[in-house]
Amino acid sequence: MRILSTVQFTGLRMLRNYIVLLLLLVVPILLITVFSFILAGVETETGEKPLHGVVKIMVVSFQLFGGSIVMSYIQHEFFTAHRMRLNMIPIRKELYAFSIMMCGTVYSILLGVILMLYSQFALGIPWNWAWSIYVITLMAILSSIVCLIFALAVRSFKLAERLSEVYGVGFILLAGLFFPMPDNAFFDFMGSYGNPLMLAMLSIQAIEQSNAGEAWFTANILLGAVVLLFVLMLVLGRRRIG
Amino acid sequence: MTVFRFVFLRSFRNTTNLIFLTLFPLVCIFMPQGDPWPVLPYGYQLFGVFLLFVSIRLASYIQVDRMSGVVKRLSIAPLSHASYLSQHLLAYLLIIMLQCVILVYGGVLYGQPLIQPFLLLILYISYSLAALAIALAWITLFRNKELAFFGFMSFVFLVSVLGGIIVPVSMFPEWLARIAVLFPTYWLAEGQLWIVYGNELGDFLFVNVVLWLYALVFMIIGSTRKLR
Amino acid sequence: MKAAMEPQLYVHTWRFLMVGVLCHLWVFGQDLTNVWILILLLLALACLRWRFALPLWTVVIDVCLCLVYAPYTTIGYYGLALPVFELAVRGRVLIAVLPFAILFLYEATPGLLFLFLLQALFVGLFAWAALGNQHSYKLEVDKQRKARYELERVKLELLEASESASQQAELMERYRIARQLHDHLGHDLTGASLALQAYVHMQEPEEARELLEEVQKRLERSTVNLRETVHNLTPVARIGVESLENVAQQFQYAAIRFHRSGDMLLVSAYQWTLLEACLKEALTNVARHSNATQVRVELQVTASIVRLLIHDNGTMTQPSLAGSGLRSLQMRARAMGGSFSISRDDGYLLVCVLPLSKEGAG
Repeated sequence: MRILSTVQFTGLRMLRNYIVLLLLLVVPILLITVFSFILAGVETETGEKPLHGVVKIMVVSFQLFGGSIVMSYIQHEFFTAHRMRLNMIPIRKELYAFSIMMCGTVYSILLGVILMLYSQFALGIPWNWAWSIYVITLMAILSSIVCLIFALAVRSFKLAERLSEVYGVGFILLAGLFFPMPDNAFFDFMGSYGNPLMLAMLSIQAIEQSNAGEAWFTANILLGAVVLLFVLMLVLGRRRIG
Repeated sequence: MTVFRFVFLRSFRNTTNLIFLTLFPLVCIFMPQGDPWPVLPYGYQLFGVFLLFVSIRLASYIQVDRMSGVVKRLSIAPLSHASYLSQHLLAYLLIIMLQCVILVYGGVLYGQPLIQPFLLLILYISYSLAALAIALAWITLFRNKELAFFGFMSFVFLVSVLGGIIVPVSMFPEWLARIAVLFPTYWLAEGQLWIVYGNELGDFLFVNVVLWLYALVFMIIGSTRKLR
Repeated sequence: MKAAMEPQLYVHTWRFLMVGVLCHLWVFGQDLTNVWILILLLLALACLRWRFALPLWTVVIDVCLCLVYAPYTTIGYYGLALPVFELAVRGRVLIAVLPFAILFLYEATPGLLFLFLLQALFVGLFAWAALGNQHSYKLEVDKQRKARYELERVKLELLEASESASQQAELMERYRIARQLHDHLGHDLTGASLALQAYVHMQEPEEARELLEEVQKRLERSTVNLRETVHNLTPVARIGVESLENVAQQFQYAAIRFHRSGDMLLVSAYQWTLLEACLKEALTNVARHSNATQVRVELQVTASIVRLLIHDNGTMTQPSLAGSGLRSLQMRARAMGGSFSISRDDGYLLVCVLPLSKEGAG
């Protein structure tokens, strides 16, 4: 019960972090808007609009960075500023850490949903709402877990931060969004089933093409990764926090 | 030139910085060629974005100095603000120039189709001057280092998209293409286009002059100790 | 808020705003990319003017740039607003009107261009007036401040002078007493004392009797002298606590009770002056502004401080501003290292505390 009463304040403190709001909400909105201007009239021969794909992949790819919210918060609460205070109060620390993780993830999902709302109603990008939110949720949880693993496994927070950036930017690069990756087995794998970003995109695209089997398959790979890493995180977390 | 020497030491003392400053140009060399766009290999395109990040990282040392009161203490030292600033910028420019040289020279050795490598180097140097000035002007606006960095990151995303580094300007609608000209990144892309297709040296000079003018404007803005 | 009231801020903002207008003209016009360099150059000049106070002749650069580009683009014409503004800000109205001549070279309808240049001229003149006013106000404020500081310095000097004068007077007085005692009493008393010593050894009764008479005469004379001296030394005017008591007794507007305690001699003359002024001021205020029926005055002297307390039972609670009288008393009390405070919570209470300097009292 004590943990529940902290949730409200965790949420408030996350909302007040303006840098996160700037980077994960304002910048994507601006970028999506700019791309919608650039790609406004473009259509492929089959009548598809590349804008839709670009916007969707951008909304999903910003979820890769959502984990940094949780990471910096955990860092602040458990390892630096509030560390001693947390040792004093009668609270179950692992539960508190879990609540922070949940809050951060929900916040990240919320930002994603706002982006979806904006792209749907301001730019007219059609979304399959239920499935997209499910996939985004998986992405947000995965990102939080990965970032937490970094924060727990590495002593220096700076390094953990860099690693989380590498995780985000790396998978975007591997997905070939900036430039095409070399054509070999490793990069092929990392550009498709080995890449959470591409898994999420494949899943969303599959459901749009009413290919439920493929959609579930890719989403389940993500789910599998979440479960696997969650166990790893628990092991690391018990060592560091518990 | 004491300040100059210590700026060098300070820039390379941090291991992350060292990796960041040397590794990335090396990675850029080996990036593939795009078809039909960008006209130069991808690494040479993205290097423009990267230079902006390097500039803010280097310029943030000046910001740290300003915020921690070092600049205030220097104001009573026998060292003028102009010489403090110019020695810093000179050192930073030299570091960035080194990266440009690594990138272009490495590209030539590796066999990337750079067409006119020497002129490309000059273009990069002009551009890095502008990038450094922009970073300097940017940090003048902020008190907090983190905020300045993340703000600049968002700014770089927008500028690189709008300036035609990530997406070619030829795809832009008419009005957006005209707005794109306002951003220094556009002139880098324009210069690279000239490197590949241009033939009149005057046009190339024009691109460089514009970049120098950007450098001048932003350097004047950035030269204030504090914008308030 | 203070920065927002600075006219110079608006001058800088206007410059950048005009460059923004030129950018707008460029984006929505049909000019070539080359024209962008003109805007950049004008921007660089605006930035320089923002950072440094450039001399006025630099507007020639602006004008030349604009004229060079004028045949190719309308931005060249509109850019002239910047030099017009610069000239107007420095108050050169006549020269500022000169660029308007460009209107005759402009092919299209010059209405908008004319209005644009006109607003530059007008805003520039307005800024000139505002900056000029600000400058003259600053000078005036500086002058006033200097005069005020001068006045305060003189006041403090006067206070110091009065303190030293009172000390001087005290010393003179002591000297006079000493001299008088020496001249009149010392002589006779010494004589008497010597005569008494001689009397002990005296053999002849007749001589001894004469000597005793002499001693008696001398002692009588001394007594008279002492009485006279003391009488001469006692001042006719009321000083110190007596004058305070006198002031209190003279007061007729309300019943007054005067208590005193401690050694009044510890308080030096210049401090009495202030205490008396305090009492007078307080009682005048009671008479003029208050509806009090009773006033309690307490004067307490301890080894280190003197404290004057004046308390009435008035019920006028409207917070009248501390008048110049009270303010000057406050200043004087502070100059003496003491404090002066007023409270209106329960009647009107005025407390003045002054420290007693050890050497001043001795």
